[in-house]
Amino acid sequence: MEWANDGKTRGGVLAHLERLEIQVNRSRKNLEDLQRAQAVESALGTKIHKLRCLRDELRAEAKQRQARVKASTVNVEPDQTPEISEQEVAKRRKENVKAILQAYRFTGLSGKLTSRGVCVCISTAFEGNLLDSYFIDLVIQKPLRIHHHSIPVFIPLEELSAKYLQTNIQHFLFCLCEYLNAYAGRKYQADRLQSDFAAFLAGPLRRNSLCNLLSFTYKVEPRGQSFPFCARLLYKDLTTALPTDVTVTYQGKRKYCTFCSHD
Amino acid sequence: MYQSDSEGWASSKDLRSHLGHLESELRFLSTLTGISIRNYSMKTEDLTNTEKKEKSIMKVLQRHRLSGNCRMITFQLEFQILEIQNKESLSSVITDLNIIMEPTEYSELSEFVSRAEERRDLLMFFRSLHFFVEWCEYRKRTFEHFKERSGPARRGVTSLQPVVCRDWEAETKRLHSRDWSQDQCTKEKYPAAVHLPEGAASSCMAVRSTCQPGFELVIVWRVQIDEEGKVLPKLDLLPKAPQQALKLDRNRVLETAPLSFRALLGTLGIEAALESLIKSLCTADYD
Repeated sequence: MEWANDGKTRGGVLAHLERLEIQVNRSRKNLEDLQRAQAVESALGTKIHKLRCLRDELRAEAKQRQARVKASTVNVEPDQTPEISEQEVAKRRKENVKAILQAYRFTGLSGKLTSRGVCVCISTAFEGNLLDSYFIDLVIQKPLRIHHHSIPVFIPLEELSAKYLQTNIQHFLFCLCEYLNAYAGRKYQADRLQSDFAAFLAGPLRRNSLCNLLSFTYKVEPRGQSFPFCARLLYKDLTTALPTDVTVTYQGKRKYCTFCSHD
Repeated sequence: MYQSDSEGWASSKDLRSHLGHLESELRFLSTLTGISIRNYSMKTEDLTNTEKKEKSIMKVLQRHRLSGNCRMITFQLEFQILEIQNKESLSSVITDLNIIMEPTEYSELSEFVSRAEERRDLLMFFRSLHFFVEWCEYRKRTFEHFKERSGPARRGVTSLQPVVCRDWEAETKRLHSRDWSQDQCTKEKYPAAVHLPEGAASSCMAVRSTCQPGFELVIVWRVQIDEEGKVLPKLDLLPKAPQQALKLDRNRVLETAPLSFRALLGTLGIEAALESLIKSLCTADYD
C-alpha cells in the first residue's frame, strides 16, 4: 500500500479511530452506569426486605402486648387501680401541705389550730440571724381573747390588743411582730456589743429589760492611753432596732450633741 | 385479700380526713396572716467534716424554695440557712436570699426588695410587704370612695363634721376596717369631678371643680418603705389654676396650699382632709 499523501484518507483514518475511541468510552461509561444502578437497586432491595421484616416483628409484638393487656385487665378489679393512685396523690399532697405549714415560720407568723382557737407563733430575726420565737394562744369567741402567751411583760401587749385585737386581728399580729422583732434586734445588738467588743468597754454595759436604753463607757483603742467616752443610747421608737438619741460625753462634758436619726 | 382491702380502705379515709384538716389549717393561716404560700421545698446538705465532729460541732446548710402571694403581689423566694450546732447553742443564720416579685409596677417595692436581699432580712420582707399591701388597699378603697361619690350636687343635704384627732396615724389605721356602705347619712354627691389618672391602683387622685373647670387639685399618695422597713404613707397636694387666678391670688393661697395640706392631714386625718379639700373646690354650690 502506498502512503498516499491523501489528507482525506489520513484524516479519515484518524477520525475513524477517534470515533471508535469515543464509542468505546461511551459503552464503557454505560456499562459502569448500569453496574452502579444495579448495585443501588440491590441495596434498596435489601433495605426493603429488612424494613418488611422489622414491620412484621413489630406487628407481632403489638399483637402480643394487646393480648397481654386484655388478659391482665380481666384479672384485676376495676375500682382498685384508680384508688391506689388517688391515695398516692393524697399522700403527696399531705406531705406538701405539712411542709408549707412549717414554712410559715419564715413569714414571721405561723400557727396551729387548737380546740379553742389558734396558737400563733411569732418568730424573730435580726440581719439574717434567726432569734427566739414567742407564742400567743387565742380563743376564738366573741370577743376574741388571749388565753396565754410567752410575750415579755415590757412589750405593750395590752395596749395593742385593746386597739386592734377585736377589729383587725391581722394588724394586731403584725404590730406585735414588729415590736418583738425590734426588741429581739436591740437585745441581739446589746449582747454582741458585750461579747464581741468587751476589749473596748471600760465598764459594764448597763441596759434595761426592753433594751431601749443603753449606757456604757468605751475607749477608742482597746489597749492604750486613749480617754474613755461615755455613751448613752435611747431608742424612743420601740418598733425599730436603731437608736433615736445618742449622747456621747467626755469627762462629764458633752463632746457631741444629741442627734435624732428620725425626724 | 379481703382484709387487706378493708385496711386499705380505712387508712385511705383517715388519710383524706387528715388531709382535709391540714388543708383547713392552711386556709386559716393564710387568712390570718394575709400571706398565701402555695409551694415550698427544702434540701439539706451536711457540711460537718471529721474535724468539726471531734469538737462536736455540726454544720448543716438548708436550701429553701418558697412561692406564694400576698393579695395582688406574688413572690418567689430562694434562701439558704446555715445551722451550726455546738455544745452550748444552735445558731441559724440566713446566708443568702433571693426574691422575685410580681407585679413590678409598684416601683417603691424594687428598692425595698434589693435592701431586704442585701440584709438577708426575710422576716422584715414579709412584715413590710404586709403593711405595704395594707396601705395600698386602704388607698385604693379611699380613692374609689371619693370617685363614686363625685358628681353633680344635690340640694338641701347636711355636710360632714370634720373629725378632729391628734393621733392621726392611729385614727387612719383604725378606719381601714370601716365599712363605707354603712354610711347612710352621707349619701350626698360632691360637686366635683374625681379622676384616677393611673386607674384603680392609682397613686394619685385628680379633683376638678365642675363649676370652675380651670382649677384642679391633684393629691399624690405614695406608700413608702424606709431603710428600716417601716411603711409610711406620704401625701402631697399639687394645685393647678389658670394664670389669671394666680394673678388675683394676693393671699398666696395656691402657693402655700401644699404646706397647708400637710397641716390639714395632721389635724383631720386622711379621709376627712380629702373630703374637706374636695368640698372646698365648690363652696358656692352648697346653698
